[in-house]
Amino acid sequence: MKNNRFKLILIAVVALVSVWSIWPTYRDYALTQKLKSFRSAEDSLKFAIDNREAIEQAKDKSLKLGLDLRGGMHLVMEVDILDLIEQKAWNKDATFTRVIESVKKEAADQSNANVVELVAAGFKKENIKLSRYFYDMRDSDQDIVNKLNGEAKDALVRAKEIIRNRIDQYGVAEPVIQTQGSQRLVIELSGVTDEARVRRLLMGTAKLEFKLVKDSETLLRAIQRISSAPLVASASTAPAAPSDSSMATAPVAAMPAPQAAGSGVKRLSDVIGMMPNGLVFAPEYARDQVTAVLSRPDVVALLPQDTQLLLAAKPEQTAKGEKYFPIYLVQKTPELTGGVITEAKATFSAQENQPEVAMSMNDEGTSKWARITGANIGKQIAIVLDNAVYSAPVVQSRIPSGNSVINGIGSLDEAKDLEIILKAGALPAPVRILEERTVGPSLGADYIRAGLFSLIWGFTAVAIFMIVYYNKAGIAADLALVLNILVVISVLAGFSAALTLPGIAGIVLTMGMAVDANVLIYERVREELSEGKSLRMAIDAGYNRAFSSILDSHVTTLAAAFLLYIYGVGPIQGFAVTLMIGTGASLFTAIVVTRVLFDLLMDSRFMNEKSFG
Amino acid sequence: MRIFQKTSFNFIKHRKIAYAISSILLIAGMVSLVFRGLNYGIDFKGGSEVVIRFEKTVDVGAVRSIMRDAGVSGSVKQYGLDRSFLLKTDFQGDTSKLKTLISNSLASRLPGNPSQILSIQAVGPSIASDMKMSAIKALAAALIGILLYVSVRFEFKFATAGVAAIFHDVLTVLGLFSLLGGLFDFMPLEVDQSIIAAFLTIAGYSITDTVVVYDRIRERLRGQKPSDYERLFNESMNQTLSRTIITSGTTMLSVIVLFIFAGPAIRSFAFAMFAGILVGTYSSIFVAAPIVFDWQTRSKSPIKFRGA
Repeated sequence: MKNNRFKLILIAVVALVSVWSIWPTYRDYALTQKLKSFRSAEDSLKFAIDNREAIEQAKDKSLKLGLDLRGGMHLVMEVDILDLIEQKAWNKDATFTRVIESVKKEAADQSNANVVELVAAGFKKENIKLSRYFYDMRDSDQDIVNKLNGEAKDALVRAKEIIRNRIDQYGVAEPVIQTQGSQRLVIELSGVTDEARVRRLLMGTAKLEFKLVKDSETLLRAIQRISSAPLVASASTAPAAPSDSSMATAPVAAMPAPQAAGSGVKRLSDVIGMMPNGLVFAPEYARDQVTAVLSRPDVVALLPQDTQLLLAAKPEQTAKGEKYFPIYLVQKTPELTGGVITEAKATFSAQENQPEVAMSMNDEGTSKWARITGANIGKQIAIVLDNAVYSAPVVQSRIPSGNSVINGIGSLDEAKDLEIILKAGALPAPVRILEERTVGPSLGADYIRAGLFSLIWGFTAVAIFMIVYYNKAGIAADLALVLNILVVISVLAGFSAALTLPGIAGIVLTMGMAVDANVLIYERVREELSEGKSLRMAIDAGYNRAFSSILDSHVTTLAAAFLLYIYGVGPIQGFAVTLMIGTGASLFTAIVVTRVLFDLLMDSRFMNEKSFG
Repeated sequence: MRIFQKTSFNFIKHRKIAYAISSILLIAGMVSLVFRGLNYGIDFKGGSEVVIRFEKTVDVGAVRSIMRDAGVSGSVKQYGLDRSFLLKTDFQGDTSKLKTLISNSLASRLPGNPSQILSIQAVGPSIASDMKMSAIKALAAALIGILLYVSVRFEFKFATAGVAAIFHDVLTVLGLFSLLGGLFDFMPLEVDQSIIAAFLTIAGYSITDTVVVYDRIRERLRGQKPSDYERLFNESMNQTLSRTIITSGTTMLSVIVLFIFAGPAIRSFAFAMFAGILVGTYSSIFVAAPIVFDWQTRSKSPIKFRGA
């Protein structure tokens, strides 16, 4: 009996801790219902303010729902370490480009390989010392690999911090951002309503540059030199590519050119247009094509030294409603870069009421900017963001204040995003999305309903079966089952592990498995009873003899669930977690709890030889 | 209540029939695996999946032709929810473009029937191959782990037969997935992460019933003459038949509930579990124990039981 008292206390403690751990979840639910019940918005706001502390506390400690139930985005992004390595290299030549290209292909085949090692191996194959392109001539290959590895690691951490900054400023509750391996970031955002905006925020490298614009004569000469460059045939998506090669006086972009359709090989001159005043433009449909052609090495080689052709970020519109993107020839080496920006603010411009972003610079940037503007009065300076020209104002006078403005922005939302990105800083290297899983809130609500139905029906089916099959002993097993479910949910809530749909499936499955232990015990008890043993002896023997089988089955299930947790990703881990907790808890509930119940009831008239059905 | 009272089936006598059934199942599964292969989900193959729900009923052919006209290559299928479709296409790094394309073309072609994109999943090829490797590692580790545990707990012959039964179960279900993959609209039976979860759970659970039968056989064999083994094997299996079936039955109840209520995302998982538990229960009676019996009668050395 003394032993039982200890067990009773243990059970009471477990039950109390479970209830205590689940209580905030109930409070959270009750408070949310209460908030919804108010008829007027003022009442509900008043209630929210009066009970703010209680609401926040309950929310903080309540059971968290996974992204699939709550709705949200799960992203895996890769930081382009190869791009970073290219940035770090100097006096790049054709050999360098070739090696990097081959490494790029290799890296695409091997997932999560260390890019730095691949680059080192690539140069080693060509018998070229890394010091030819990286850091100091005196460095050994190993030094350089170490340094580049350090840079790569640093870049990943910086990318994580910058993305966290951006997300924090955008305002997403409880974002999860983790690094994975040597170049990946895992990002989980719940309740995101505008995925396109979030994606822009995450991906925007925000490389801001101020570049000198060459005069229109140089531009026209450069265009003439490259105009016969072929457009890559496969890149053409527009059917029967309309073009404008006729040097039209008005930018009529959509005029079909018969010779282009006939000759098959389309040239750059077939799609871009020129105006006598020196404006060069690409029609909207050919924008991506032209952008690709302009950055192709064979085209770049034809341009004057240290220049590049860039498209505008926003199209201009003709009276007829056709859209075209102006093309600029700019000095490749920027006068100033976004690193000097300290403050950014999205506003509307005073004159045209268009969204813009006002920026201010640090001391170094301010004095440079003053010198640059002073030296180039009357010339155009392009404000280039991620290789697109946002505006190219003519410098009217020297600007001593270190202020600048990006205009030509589509919407206020876009301006606000730009403000966030500029303030948080540029990413050290571009990022790519490798995996995305987005669940809308309505599907999440469906999943919650499906999960609840499964839980209720699963419990009902198993509980009724146990009572029908094992009579009063079945009731004990059912009580243990209730405690088991309580323990699973409370452990999830207590450790802030999120409940996912597979997690719910894990709980439902656990219910079926948890009573297995009772089945094994009860079958044994029945056997012992049929051999004529007394109830007490039969129960003793049943528990003792069934124990080793129960332990075996629990250990193997636990092992499988544990491995699933280690190797699984995302929602599947949720399944593994609930299965582990449920299986572990059922060892306690099915063996200890039911045993104590029987011991307590044995002396009363409630239990007799027929109680096991 | 009692379902199986004092049964006396002669399992050992009919074991050859069971061997034949198992062999046919396994061979059919393996042949299908070789020729048909497995239907991989995007987790392991890469690609994009979009779930679209309409407000009113719409024909799958109509949605298909709209998608084709919009230039979205891929397949459109009925999804397990009401008025919902699953569009599968190549991996898109920028799903917002895909999303805009789909919603714009649906809105212009079906103006009277608003639709909503419920979820988008896009998995790149490199991630997919990573996940495949992880899944293989997890399965291998689980099988090795269980092998180790069982060989510590049981005598060599029992352990080997038990692990053979696990392989039997997992391979049979895998074969079923290969045979039936893509045949049903309400459950795609694609092999993805959740199916790996099912396989691992099956591997862990399959040994449960086997252990129950084994424990009884060991208990009965101890100190008995080998000539009595056939009777003792049969008696042990009959004595444990009830609990073997009831334990599977309760778990089966949960799995059926999941199959019916938990929605299309869980359905293939529930099917795998259902098949796994069924085959697992069958194999512990008809595969694991008979193998031990056959092995024992053929070998000269008696079973050395551990412990007292």
